[in-house]
Amino acid sequence: MTTRISELIADLPVESDDLASSVPEGAPEQLARLSLQPVPIGRFRRLSALGTLQAKIAAAYLFHWLRGWFKNADENKRLLAEAHWRNAIRMLDAMGYLRGAAMKIGQTLANFPDIAPREFVETLEQLHFDAPPMHWSLLREMVFNELGDDPENLFAKFDKTAFAAASLGQVHRAQLKTGEEVAVKIQYPGIGRAIEADFRNLFLFLLPSRLTRDWESTRDQMEDLSRRLALEADYELEAANLTKARTLFHDGDGVVIPRVISQFSTSRVLTMERLEGLHLREFVAGNPSQAERNDVAIKLLRAWYRLMYTGRMLYVDFHPGNFLVLKDGRVGVLDFGFMMPFDGDEWERMRKIDRPLTTGLQSDRIAVLKEWNEIRDDETDRLRVTDEFGEWCWMSRYRGGNYDFSDEAEFRRGIDLFAEMVRKRYNRARPNTPAIARSQFGWRSIMYLLKANVDIRSLAEIEVKATGWDRSAYA
Amino acid sequence: MRITLEEKTATRRRIVAAAVDLFRSQGFDATTTRDIAHSAKIATGTLFNYFDTKEAIVAELADEALAKARGALAQATSQSTFEEDLFTLVATELRQLRPLRKFIAPFLETTLSPIVSMRRAGADDTRIAHLELVAEIARRHGVADLSPVALQMYWALYTGVLAYWAADRSPKQEDTLALLDESLHMFAAWQFSPAGPPQIERHAS
Repeated sequence: MTTRISELIADLPVESDDLASSVPEGAPEQLARLSLQPVPIGRFRRLSALGTLQAKIAAAYLFHWLRGWFKNADENKRLLAEAHWRNAIRMLDAMGYLRGAAMKIGQTLANFPDIAPREFVETLEQLHFDAPPMHWSLLREMVFNELGDDPENLFAKFDKTAFAAASLGQVHRAQLKTGEEVAVKIQYPGIGRAIEADFRNLFLFLLPSRLTRDWESTRDQMEDLSRRLALEADYELEAANLTKARTLFHDGDGVVIPRVISQFSTSRVLTMERLEGLHLREFVAGNPSQAERNDVAIKLLRAWYRLMYTGRMLYVDFHPGNFLVLKDGRVGVLDFGFMMPFDGDEWERMRKIDRPLTTGLQSDRIAVLKEWNEIRDDETDRLRVTDEFGEWCWMSRYRGGNYDFSDEAEFRRGIDLFAEMVRKRYNRARPNTPAIARSQFGWRSIMYLLKANVDIRSLAEIEVKATGWDRSAYA
Repeated sequence: MRITLEEKTATRRRIVAAAVDLFRSQGFDATTTRDIAHSAKIATGTLFNYFDTKEAIVAELADEALAKARGALAQATSQSTFEEDLFTLVATELRQLRPLRKFIAPFLETTLSPIVSMRRAGADDTRIAHLELVAEIARRHGVADLSPVALQMYWALYTGVLAYWAADRSPKQEDTLALLDESLHMFAAWQFSPAGPPQIERHAS
């Protein structure tokens, strides 16, 4: 990308206090509700203060990138799309959690260093690691409220400075009185309810989309995402996920899940065994050999498949900061806030997907995709694009043998297909599709970052046995 | 019969303990001075020798809690910013006031509220004690003298946060922490803005 940052920023919607001018017609009631948003709001103020310019740069790239999707559309559609995105970005500027969510999207893009501009990648990394938004006094009160005493009384040592920003809070190094080194994740007060409020507000700005035939499906997907993000605010749930996941791995797997210290954990504070190692990006920066890269990739994929097929849960939040390469070569998986459990119905769908994933036959794939995306026989273009995207998603698995995940052109093809689906508003799908898409792009982006060249089919074939499915007809 | 100071103190304690029990079990509004006297095993008239109203009982409890908070603050180490030190001050008070939260409203109304016209005796002492601490924190951070306007602004924010806290239904009143954080940030930003707090033009009347 040759566009200069200054040009992109200049192209951003002008910041304005006059939010009403950007509200779609017919939404005065909702706007009134918005203005009556209960205090307290804006708890991400420090994040915004620390990252105002960075956030602008990120938003500018996002806007530029989105606009690219519409470059071939006719003038009216393009202008309409731009108007919606301008409103959305204005809205993001005024909201708390979704600004964080936008950063998360950006961070996913940041996994593609050759595709996303370098400045964008660096900007987002700074946002992720360098912004401690809670001061010590506030954090101390949160610990007191949650654990019943001050951190300096509960722990042998407690580092006042956060060493990482978590999606909904921040992480501090500490030492238990037993001597064990731990990481303590502490949540911003009230953030869970702020997420829900932000999503409610976002719905207002998506109202123009309700005129399309797929509005109900889009709304269901947004609601699903909103619900899942709200669940991410429950650290007790994350602790349960961590504890369950930990039982799935054994010494030879090369995968470590930190132990939860339940005595010092609540729904807002999560204390875990502290793993020491290199974050994926630090690992890659050290110019590891192809064999070392592949080794890490295999362990990550083993973890992903194990969680999926034995644990019946999907790991969604693939961010390089969530994985550590330990000195002994094991891989640590850190963040279990955004997990998608497969209940009976979803598990049955997973079973059905196993067939095209294994055979690679277009007929098998189309049968599954038609059901998943509710595609009618007369929707030929929708079926074509969805099938091509499905093929892109699953090819690395069904082909077998080593697959080169560093192929940039192939990678772009997947992004372009996804963009085409969005552009054509082929967004009718199961409500949990955004979470699954995030996981799909997430693991692919990590493989791309590692420039892995591995055989994922053989790994998957080992792990899928745990399901007990009868695969004799196609495997 | 002469009542010793010890007996007086014991009776006073019994009244306060009985009142707290009743406020907690049946609510502040539903509790009468007669109930309190009955529960403390004294005549209603005797109660009035100690407290004029049930509100005065809450005020005494709150004053004690705030004095305890000031004691705890004297032991605390100063944080890095004006805003953080102010946060510590209010958060320490909230910790001490927490057992009284559900019936703190009368104290806010009779003692702390900026709009109250009939202050109870001693109300000014409570306010002055708190504002002196604020002024001391400000001095520690390089503000020699907080203007009367700044103190009034601060007081409005402070009592607003306490009022919010009294009715906060969020888990463990976490929303109050966020509101306090926001409010103090706003106040500190105004106080330390590059141009300084806005100067008010004074006209001769």
